[in-house]
Amino acid sequence: MIDVQSIRDAARDLLAKGEVRAVIGYQRGSRGMLAEPVTITDPEQADELVWDATCFHNLALYLVEDRKALAHAQRTPNLPIAIVAKGCDARAIVVLMQEHYFKREDVYIIGVSCEGGGVLVEYKLARLLNGAQALSAVIDGAELVVTTLAGEVRLPASEVMADRCLECREPFPKEHNVVFGEDQTSRQLVAPFTALARFEALSEADRWAYWCRQFERCIRCFACRSVCPMCYCDECVVDSITFPVAPETTAEEKANRIRWIERSAVRSENITYHMTRAMHLAGRCIDCGECERVCPVNIPLRLLNNKMEREAREHFGYEPGASIGGPSLVASFRDDDPGQFIR
Amino acid sequence: MEKILDKQRLDDWIAALTDWEAFAPAVEDGVWAFRPVVGAARLDHPNTKQPPKGFAFPQREVFFSFEQIKGEAPRLTQKLPDSKHRVVFGVRPCDARGTVRMDRVFADHVDDVYYQSRRNNMAYVGLACNKPPSAHCFCLSVGGSPVSSDGLDVLMTDLGDRYFLAAITETGKSLMTTAGDLLKMPAAADRKQAASVHAEAVAQPQRAINNPDGAPARLKASFKSPLWEELAQACIGCGICTFLCPTCHCFDINDEVTGSAPLKGNRVRTWDNCQFPDFTMHTSGHNPRPTVGARLRQRVCHKFQYFHENFGMHQCTGCGRCISDCPVGIDIVHVVNKVTEHAG
Repeated sequence: MIDVQSIRDAARDLLAKGEVRAVIGYQRGSRGMLAEPVTITDPEQADELVWDATCFHNLALYLVEDRKALAHAQRTPNLPIAIVAKGCDARAIVVLMQEHYFKREDVYIIGVSCEGGGVLVEYKLARLLNGAQALSAVIDGAELVVTTLAGEVRLPASEVMADRCLECREPFPKEHNVVFGEDQTSRQLVAPFTALARFEALSEADRWAYWCRQFERCIRCFACRSVCPMCYCDECVVDSITFPVAPETTAEEKANRIRWIERSAVRSENITYHMTRAMHLAGRCIDCGECERVCPVNIPLRLLNNKMEREAREHFGYEPGASIGGPSLVASFRDDDPGQFIR
Repeated sequence: MEKILDKQRLDDWIAALTDWEAFAPAVEDGVWAFRPVVGAARLDHPNTKQPPKGFAFPQREVFFSFEQIKGEAPRLTQKLPDSKHRVVFGVRPCDARGTVRMDRVFADHVDDVYYQSRRNNMAYVGLACNKPPSAHCFCLSVGGSPVSSDGLDVLMTDLGDRYFLAAITETGKSLMTTAGDLLKMPAAADRKQAASVHAEAVAQPQRAINNPDGAPARLKASFKSPLWEELAQACIGCGICTFLCPTCHCFDINDEVTGSAPLKGNRVRTWDNCQFPDFTMHTSGHNPRPTVGARLRQRVCHKFQYFHENFGMHQCTGCGRCISDCPVGIDIVHVVNKVTEHAG
């Protein structure tokens, strides 16, 4: 079990010694027991950091935001930024470094192992608690310890954990500067791609009907894209402005832009958006599952990304987020590639 | 007009409304939404994921279609909404108050024929919230109440095995009259129970905005507060808060081209969203709301200051959706309280 004090001490130390310019972590928000992302710059704030089963967010997103803000301000900082990272978050950071979004020395990774646990799903917990309000939720071994007004409840963690965590192959952040918790990489709670396999057992007609129903529901709030650390492009095919407009951009360039996807939240446009996004995440998505968690209308987006991940794994033996210096899926080839087009 | 409806007879009432297309909350893939009533309607929903706003203000609406044959003048064909009557059951009081605010925007100050032709054919049958449907309800803070009838045609109150019905408008009266014998005259005990259920509902604990009356002036004084950036720090710039809001009404208009020879297509209105980073992007490339803080301030001040200055009421009705569904915990109650406490 992780002692949150160790994370706080590490953050305080780094800030106090001037080794980093900020620490991205989790704090308790105003919404009951849920954690929320925070960036602290003062060592005094370190005591506000928390660590529990509601630390859903992939904080690597804020490294991207930080980099964008620095670029906008045309600033080059002389100190790295520190980040609290779970196994999945650390893999995301590795992909970003692999893509040269920032350098290894720009980031100080405070790794935290999920050990035998992960993050919970609010509705799963609510169902098990039967109306009782949870005040806190911490994973202890294979159990989730929930504090309610009526006292402490111990639930099997696997019953409240997110699918992504159950299927996680790497709950330990391999890439780190400092790490807390045990490496339980071999824990295998549920076989990888279980949810995908369950879905693919359906007939083609059923799958098509299923996805039609899902995409009809999409309201195009773009939370899936906004929350994704890999969706860092300045231009996105789905935006009304599909390229960065600068003072020197001509009226003709603006007028002749191609609108690949209309703004209307209708099935055809929604499918084009989600399919494009899934393709652009192939070999990059590290299955943090944030897109699926934040979707307000419960579209199971993880299935799309899992599908691409499994294709890459089966056809090319590719594991996203495995190493900073390693080849990327779509920017590398092998001499023994069976495809003719490559030769 | 006040009546009693046996819960078992709700479907019979809906079936009797033959001139109306009826909608009620239904759950699909874990998402509550207003759907056409097929079979039995159940009103045991918490609140729907989206408010009923889309009935009068759909996320996508075609204004007109266009076609141009080379050498000829362009031909425009206006596409007005159909004239079907639609009635929505199970509307929560906060969402009905949202409708009142939408009316101010699209019916009072401008003559939005698309909004109005839909709106004029709508009826809303509300359901009082005996208990707050969400942990983030705060209707009492913004002039509402879990038993408010503002914006409704009929208010229903759950009395266990039956509903207590109160007609609020003439349309509501006619919906109830259509039910004929299905509706009974309430006994004195029914009225007494309804009153006590209402009193209990209003006494349920809710989250609170501490100084809603002082908010417009205090927010005005806080335009340059550093708190905006601090409170928006985690914002990811998605559109959940405003797309789920019962009162957000910003839109965009685009031409969707469907063919090139001859050129044809539709002029379409779609919802837009002040939280999207490119919402205020100018053609010059300049963006007057370049940061998450500037965009959060816009959302909050529109609801608690600008709208109040324009219409004398807060634009927020306290449904709590933007709080419950924010991916990173941005909480409008907390934001308003914090900024107004530190004002000037």
